[in-house]
Amino acid sequence: MSAERSFSKEVESLRLGDGEVFHGEGILAVTKALLQSGVAYVGGYQGAPVSHLLDVLLDAEELMDEMGIHVETGTNEAAAAAMLGASINYPLRGAVGWKSIVGTNVAADALSNLASPGVIGGALIVSGEDYGEGASIIQERTLSMAMKSSMWLVDPRPNLTSIVDTVESSFELSEASNTPVIMQLRIRSCHVQGRFIARDNKKPPINTRERQKEPAPFNYGRLAHPPVTFAQEKLKVEERLPAAQKFICDRKLNEFFDGDIERLGIIVPGGLYNTLIRRLARLGLADDFGNSKIPLMVLNVVFPLVPDQIRDFAAGKDAVLIIEEGNPEYIEHQINTILRKADIQTRLHGKDVFPMAGEYNGAVMHQGLMGFIEAEGLGIGDPVQIRAEADRIDAAMDGAEAAFPTALPPRPPQFCTGCPERPVFSALKLLQEDIGKVHIAADIGCHAFATFEPFSMGNSILGYGMSLASAAAVSPFQDKRSISIMGDGGFWHNGLTTGVIANMLNEGDAVLVIMQNGFTSATGQQFIPSSAKGRGGRDPGMSIERTLEALGVPWMRTVRTYSVAAMVETLREALTTSEKGLKIIIADGECQLARQRRLRGENAEKLKSGKRVELPRFGIDDEVCTGDHSCIRLSGCPSLTIKPNPDPLREDPVASVNNSCVGCGLCGEVSHAAVLCPSFYRAERVRNPGMLERAVEGMRKSVIGLLGGHGA
Amino acid sequence: MTAPLTLLIAALGGEGGGVLTSWIVNAAQDSNLPVQATSIPGVAQRTGATTYYVEIWPQTWDEIDGAEPVFALSPSPGEIDVFASSELLETGRQIQSGYVTPDRTLLIASTHRVFATSEKMKMGDGRADNKQLVQVAGDRSKSQIFFDMEDAARNAGAHISAVLLGSIAGCGTLPISDETFREGIRAEGKAVEANLAGFEAGLKAAKGDVAVQALQPEDRFAHVTATPDLLKRAASFPAEVQPTLDHAIRRLMDFQDTAYAGLYLDRLAPYADGEVDVLVRVAKYLAVRMSFEDVIRVAQAKTRPERLARIRAETGAAAGDSVKVTEFLKPGIAEFCDVLPEGIARMVLARAEKSEKLRNWHKGMELNSSSVTGFLKLKTLAGMRRWRRRTWRFRREQESIEAWLDLISQAQKLNAALAAEIAECARLIKGYSDTHVRGTGNFGRINAALIGPALRREIDAESAAVDIAAAREAALADPDGLTLTQTLSASAVPVPARREAAE
Repeated sequence: MSAERSFSKEVESLRLGDGEVFHGEGILAVTKALLQSGVAYVGGYQGAPVSHLLDVLLDAEELMDEMGIHVETGTNEAAAAAMLGASINYPLRGAVGWKSIVGTNVAADALSNLASPGVIGGALIVSGEDYGEGASIIQERTLSMAMKSSMWLVDPRPNLTSIVDTVESSFELSEASNTPVIMQLRIRSCHVQGRFIARDNKKPPINTRERQKEPAPFNYGRLAHPPVTFAQEKLKVEERLPAAQKFICDRKLNEFFDGDIERLGIIVPGGLYNTLIRRLARLGLADDFGNSKIPLMVLNVVFPLVPDQIRDFAAGKDAVLIIEEGNPEYIEHQINTILRKADIQTRLHGKDVFPMAGEYNGAVMHQGLMGFIEAEGLGIGDPVQIRAEADRIDAAMDGAEAAFPTALPPRPPQFCTGCPERPVFSALKLLQEDIGKVHIAADIGCHAFATFEPFSMGNSILGYGMSLASAAAVSPFQDKRSISIMGDGGFWHNGLTTGVIANMLNEGDAVLVIMQNGFTSATGQQFIPSSAKGRGGRDPGMSIERTLEALGVPWMRTVRTYSVAAMVETLREALTTSEKGLKIIIADGECQLARQRRLRGENAEKLKSGKRVELPRFGIDDEVCTGDHSCIRLSGCPSLTIKPNPDPLREDPVASVNNSCVGCGLCGEVSHAAVLCPSFYRAERVRNPGMLERAVEGMRKSVIGLLGGHGA
Repeated sequence: MTAPLTLLIAALGGEGGGVLTSWIVNAAQDSNLPVQATSIPGVAQRTGATTYYVEIWPQTWDEIDGAEPVFALSPSPGEIDVFASSELLETGRQIQSGYVTPDRTLLIASTHRVFATSEKMKMGDGRADNKQLVQVAGDRSKSQIFFDMEDAARNAGAHISAVLLGSIAGCGTLPISDETFREGIRAEGKAVEANLAGFEAGLKAAKGDVAVQALQPEDRFAHVTATPDLLKRAASFPAEVQPTLDHAIRRLMDFQDTAYAGLYLDRLAPYADGEVDVLVRVAKYLAVRMSFEDVIRVAQAKTRPERLARIRAETGAAAGDSVKVTEFLKPGIAEFCDVLPEGIARMVLARAEKSEKLRNWHKGMELNSSSVTGFLKLKTLAGMRRWRRRTWRFRREQESIEAWLDLISQAQKLNAALAAEIAECARLIKGYSDTHVRGTGNFGRINAALIGPALRREIDAESAAVDIAAAREAALADPDGLTLTQTLSASAVPVPARREAAE
């Protein structure tokens, strides 16, 4: 459930039955597939591109209740991973989802402890691979995490039918091999809009309505605790791995496509299949329906590999191309070993023709295939068509990058119009102009947009909720105190323990600013423990302030974020007071996106019943503005923009407030705090004004008209 | 060969690109066409640049009889049939990625700009070159549909996404009827009227049926009529400066009075017969400098009769709505002294020198200018224009203007380009409080490092002119003056003085 988007329509499609056509997004197809698989519990932690998985289930409270499915929002990915522990002792199918690699990292400890004893109920981790174009995190792959814990990694072809089938078979694979399965879905696969033929939902045999009478009997073998951990390590390779490999073969999870050019072959993970087919088709080596002239082995399961399948595919071929994103090239290494041990002399291509780093999009795939073709000879397919295609792509790229003589201005994401976090950085900028620069430990969340212009602030980002911890060894070596920025989402995710408690335990002297906007706003405004309204509209009843009080934080202030002058002074005090110990400023301001959504509803109600509604916005007298843009350098609000100078004698554009302004008040605060210029005004439009208000305005108009101002 | 139709949409987060994509997908599905769309929303939804990619198989499911086309998830260079963009800079960005090509792509692009932060925050003009964006977009695409989608959306009372949909429908490349799109909007049942209006606007524009309106610059001083005497004097100047003079005279009559406008012409007269380029620049910046931004001028601007109507329109206020306007003013000791006579101002400032408290004194005011008392305060301040000539600020500005003119006159004897560049440096002096101090300071630095030496013939006039232009750009590059320092130190190599000409 999130405040940003309602899934009421999607909830309906979760009820589709046998033979009905599901239309929608990839991640919602996964959600439907979970229900078709008889899942008993679902959990996770939000983050693009998988947030919607949980959001939609939380909106489907009624359906979940009917089916007896338990849905839990984890406070972080470790909590979500630990939840899969239910499948160790009970034949319950469970699924959790998060953004990877970061979520998998946070979950790693629980995952190791889950994978070691193994599961008896199918356990599926839906991993949103935030990798490549559009990604917002460090660029690493999930495969190594699966390999080191002996969890299986499936990577389905990116069409809804394959994705849905893979979800269902993954539970079976998990149960057949007593091993948790990770399903990786790339960003575009999560957001792909397509269709599949639905099946009936399956009610889990054990569910929240039909419960078990007794807990599982004590079984030391199901603990991740010595001495059984030694036995479990052996079990992974001696029993679970062969069982998985057998299941993969029996159920044909990997797919083989024949082709005329039998002396060659391509091994490709399912997730890259569509990109490959498109490039092959344009080179005349396939058609648009997937019929390839070069034989293909599609790894819908990228770990474990099945050596027999690899040997059978490669044997008798001159050369095989392995397509694998990421570094190191784990699949290529394994295949090399498999073929070497079998003494199969097929040449292998992979990272020699493909780049070591980065996403394999269409352009990269084309270059890699051309490298393969060149290495193995143009005798593949029709050389004329291949050359024509290569020339065509070269021509498309030729001069494209250099189409403009100067670099185009970048457009990174930024704080929304009226965002409550922006003023904190306006205050920080003003303060630093006065007292000099300070070390700023940044964090994950919307506030990380302060690393972009016009603020360009933040010395490090060490992960979600980690800012204060990341400054632990910075502060002791700095004359000035450092500032750590943390969102309320990061605070509850782990910042409370890794940051606040650690700093107090170590008698630190740090300054922490907690952005309290009431949601994990960057991921789509999911609810957090301190949200005013949580699941089902109920108040979770937890407060950051009370938590910190209970911990005994020695110095704490709560400041309304838009009060720039007060924020400057509070920050100054925190940085300069002689008082030792952790100093926390709670920067309080509701997420403006959420607030506007709330106000729109409230105002519509009021207008309908003829009640008074105030609609504030800011404006600029363009005759007064001289086009220096100091105000923009202290704000960067999308609604505070520029327009051509109406003064025929001036060229520099003037500042201008556009219609998206929500009247947050920052412009006024900043022009006061920074002593900027007198151009700004606030205009409050009052709809349905009262009788008295109207009378006063009428009187004012006539008097001001007499004074030479505006007439009526 | 049958191949999928490819459609790439560039938009900004929050513009409704997701909804737009759904409309297209639904319309294709309703037409029984295989379709797939992908996007990379993530944090780009927070107003960043993002794209949506759609592939449609141009045959119906029945025609391909059970076969499933394999659609690509991401666009590839040189393979886009239709590229639609809600903003001009984003059009340029996708061109750079090779997605728009002259052999294939129909380009649908809005001509309006949503400025990026880096463009907005520059102290001068950081805007990307619009003409160039349009030019390149035309050169690198097969055919083009350009129109101002923001304008079309505003006129239709719709979101830009609906206008984009209309233009995509109207471009004629998709095998989907206009009516199918309309049906989709109706079936969705959200803001149907507005979305349909936006759709029709886009459809019309794409079919080439759009009126282009040239923007008329507003004449702020239309209420002022120049006196016959001033008009007569102005007529004796070259034709190149006539538009500027027409504006400048009325501007200065509004700012001060007829005599002050006369002073402007007096000051300009010595340049009338010189190099036209110098005259044009002096005419322009002299008028700007003589109408300097003191608190009286601010009050004049904020009490103009047409102002409230303009603000009301901005808020979208209907007839029965009331609108309250609050001004944010924070004059400090400097602004206070500006309007005092010189003697008193100097006394106050001398005391401020000794007292930090007084030096940093500011009065933050939130003034309700739509109330009688608030308006009266501003009107009283505006009325102080009668005493302006006696204020300390006025004296200082006149001295500074005379000094600047003196530099230009001296330079004109040496080199016209040098004179023109010195005149142009007036662009640096603008704004209020710190901004004004910084601009004046930057002018001083350029004067000391380049203008002075050039006039003293310590450095070559021709190259000094080039260096001054560079220094001016550098002064506008960052507020801390770092770029200016670098530029000045780079150009500080003194050129041996030229030997005096023999005659």
